[in-house]
Amino acid sequence: MASDVSPIERLEEHPVPVDPGAIEAEFTRIWQETAGGDESTIRLRVLNFVAIGLVGDAQARFESVMAALPERHPCRGILVLPAPDAGPVSASIAAHCWRTAGGGRHVCSEEVSLRGGTDQQRALASAVLALLVPEIPVAVWLIGPPDADTSFVRDIFDAADRVFLDSALSGSAEQAFGYALEAAGRHDIVVCDIAWCRLTTWRSLVAQFFDRDDGLRELARLRSIEVLSGGRSLSSESLLLAGWLISRLGLSAADVAFAPDRLHATLYDGVNPVTLALTCGPEGDAPIQRVRLVTAGAAFLIDLHSESGHLHVRAEWPDAPVHRTVERPPLDDAAVLTDALDSDQDSAVFDAAMKAALGLLGGAVSP
Amino acid sequence: MTANPLAANPLRAGLRLPRTPDSCAVVIFGATGDLTSRKLIPALYNLLRGRLLPSGFSVVGFARRAWSDDQFRAAMKEAVSTYSREPLQQEVWDSFARNLHYVSSDFSEATGYERLAERLAKQDATHGAGGNRLFYLSTPPNAYAGIAHHLGEAGLSRGNDGGWARLVVEKPFGRDLESARALDQALGVVFRERQIFRIDHYLGKETVQNIMVFRFANGIFEPIWNRRYVENVQVSVAETVGVENRGGYYEEAGALRDMVQNHLLQVMALVAMEPVASFRADAVRDEKAKVFQAIRPFKDIARETVRGQYIAGAILGQQVPGYRQEEGVAPVSSTETFAALRLEVENWRWADVPFYLRVGKRLPKRATEVAITFKRAPLPLFRESGADNVTPNLLVLRIQPDEGISLRFGAKVPGTRSDVRPVNMDFRYGTSFGVDAPEAYERLLLDAMLGDSTLFTRWDGVELAWNLLTPVLDAWQQGARPLEFYEAGSWGPLGAVELIERDGREWHRM
Repeated sequence: MASDVSPIERLEEHPVPVDPGAIEAEFTRIWQETAGGDESTIRLRVLNFVAIGLVGDAQARFESVMAALPERHPCRGILVLPAPDAGPVSASIAAHCWRTAGGGRHVCSEEVSLRGGTDQQRALASAVLALLVPEIPVAVWLIGPPDADTSFVRDIFDAADRVFLDSALSGSAEQAFGYALEAAGRHDIVVCDIAWCRLTTWRSLVAQFFDRDDGLRELARLRSIEVLSGGRSLSSESLLLAGWLISRLGLSAADVAFAPDRLHATLYDGVNPVTLALTCGPEGDAPIQRVRLVTAGAAFLIDLHSESGHLHVRAEWPDAPVHRTVERPPLDDAAVLTDALDSDQDSAVFDAAMKAALGLLGGAVSP
Repeated sequence: MTANPLAANPLRAGLRLPRTPDSCAVVIFGATGDLTSRKLIPALYNLLRGRLLPSGFSVVGFARRAWSDDQFRAAMKEAVSTYSREPLQQEVWDSFARNLHYVSSDFSEATGYERLAERLAKQDATHGAGGNRLFYLSTPPNAYAGIAHHLGEAGLSRGNDGGWARLVVEKPFGRDLESARALDQALGVVFRERQIFRIDHYLGKETVQNIMVFRFANGIFEPIWNRRYVENVQVSVAETVGVENRGGYYEEAGALRDMVQNHLLQVMALVAMEPVASFRADAVRDEKAKVFQAIRPFKDIARETVRGQYIAGAILGQQVPGYRQEEGVAPVSSTETFAALRLEVENWRWADVPFYLRVGKRLPKRATEVAITFKRAPLPLFRESGADNVTPNLLVLRIQPDEGISLRFGAKVPGTRSDVRPVNMDFRYGTSFGVDAPEAYERLLLDAMLGDSTLFTRWDGVELAWNLLTPVLDAWQQGARPLEFYEAGSWGPLGAVELIERDGREWHRM
């Protein structure tokens, strides 16, 4: 439908007073200039997308997302940047426009950036609340480690329907998972861990192994789970993947041994033990490099090919081994957030996975 | 095989796709044809790219041409490079191509089916296809019955070792009621109804599926979706193209068989049907069948139908020949390239609301739309300011191109007077969802592999449609409604205008 959509163009950025009326008027002026008498320019917002920038590259990351997200989720993007030396709250705006397929209509989304000193956090939050477009959902993206618990963040979370955070940015997965659970409970919102979103493809492929007629029987005879992550320490993704398998299969963990670069445990399904091994290796920096499951009668492997980025999938069924190669979807912020906003997050599955991962970490002893 | 083992896969919870299809082999009859290259293989490739195909998956092409597996693969690679909506990626292609095979045989040659059976049995062992087969008839319709017969003879109408076998049949399903019944009987000797998937690619289009979502996922429309508020409904399919290189086929078909009997009546049924209690395949198809049953048979075919044929004219600034000058068309052909009908659905919801259907080739623009005109407000409050002639509300469901929905309503023109002007509220897929929709064939092939027949037509629906239209074909054959000519680039013959103006209405301007 939109195969020849033009790239999003960022039209202009300039300071404006921190006043919703003035900002609205300024956007209208930009659109009129963009249209240049062409009545086919339309302004579209189906989402408030608020980003809270807590790290140095927040603005660049927000802009890279806004260069892609509005095409799929036309939105009012609001970036909030508290900084120690920023002084009173100031605002600037930019418009994002693109042409629909076939050189059709000009569609515009909008971006507001708010900056203010760290002593201006209440003022920043109040400006965000005033700028939210009514009657459409509010998604909040926390850019930075998920540990901020100021009144400013709480005020914005209170206005949100969904909050995206990334446990992979935390120095402690245990702390990040705890923060996510706490935020979901306190603000009655859906919290989405971007690390969990990055797992969707892996989860789909693992689930697909057992879609065969005799798949469930084989799943019940699971004997071992091995997850290899890139880098020097276990990734959030590998812990969440293990938590997901544990919670979905109703396993309980015992004999957990945990070090920053590995976790070993014995899982029980009530009858048989299942060994769990999470390790990391130097082969790459992808959050997950390889997943291997072994059952009593078969073995299953998903391997990330370091050069092509494709996933090699092998199901070693004794009657008919199957090998295939599939594409791994892009994992940049824009792609993951766009995809996550598309789906109705099943928070029950995520919550259970996160709690199981927390259970692993909480029950661990040093090896 | 258990009834639905996948429903219980605990790892599927929360994932977008409830399941992937069972491992299976897709056998394409007519594998060297246009449909295979343009639609089927690119659709399967894109399903693989999207990780929607099962792990034990293979394709067997079956056609007369003496190709090897490698030649078939090379041709299909070219097809994917040319026609796939997503670019070909070598590594993914290699994985796909390993599972492509070819059997060379005439459709009427019994030994060809024996070789096919051997090949499939071998693939069950090597590819883990699980004994499941999806046979896709991408052949001329006159080959359907013979292929089904040979499949039965070769023991292929049932899956291997407890697996399933399904048959996908392309349109046209018969050329009138009698031939459709004969075909149904021929297929029915070998396959059961639940194994037969009659494909109507219109039903795989996102915007056609959105008709159901629009009606049944929104609370505000269903209360006004009836005779009390709706004045008339128009379903229009306008094409700028002529018959291209399909003159031979089109001579035998014509607009009524090619488009109305299937696409237009299916779309009309989605607009007119009662809400379903569930989206189970039979629940949806039951409701569509009730619509077909409620359509009043034609009383006066000469007044309620129009048939036209284009003559030379200009389209998009180009001179184009008339239908009779097209390749493969008889110089005295009386095949219609335009058809318009006035239908009535005689039930409590739609009594006295006319449904106008029109389809034509070489019309000024390409568009498929459903236009629902609502009744005027009961009291013309703004008469004194000369605004009593407020245009009625119009809801347009645009199926292609520029897919979307628009609602026309009256708004006050700014100023001291109470002038009312019609304005449009627009929703466009292209702007609200900037993403490539899957091709209709991707959705339909996936559904067929999953065994979900919701978007496929059931025999009773096909039979009822032919039952309605066969008298029209017969009457036209006997000259009850003379063929009218229209210039290419016009909106069809004058008779179409008269058909609707007779009711004091006009065609929605597309």
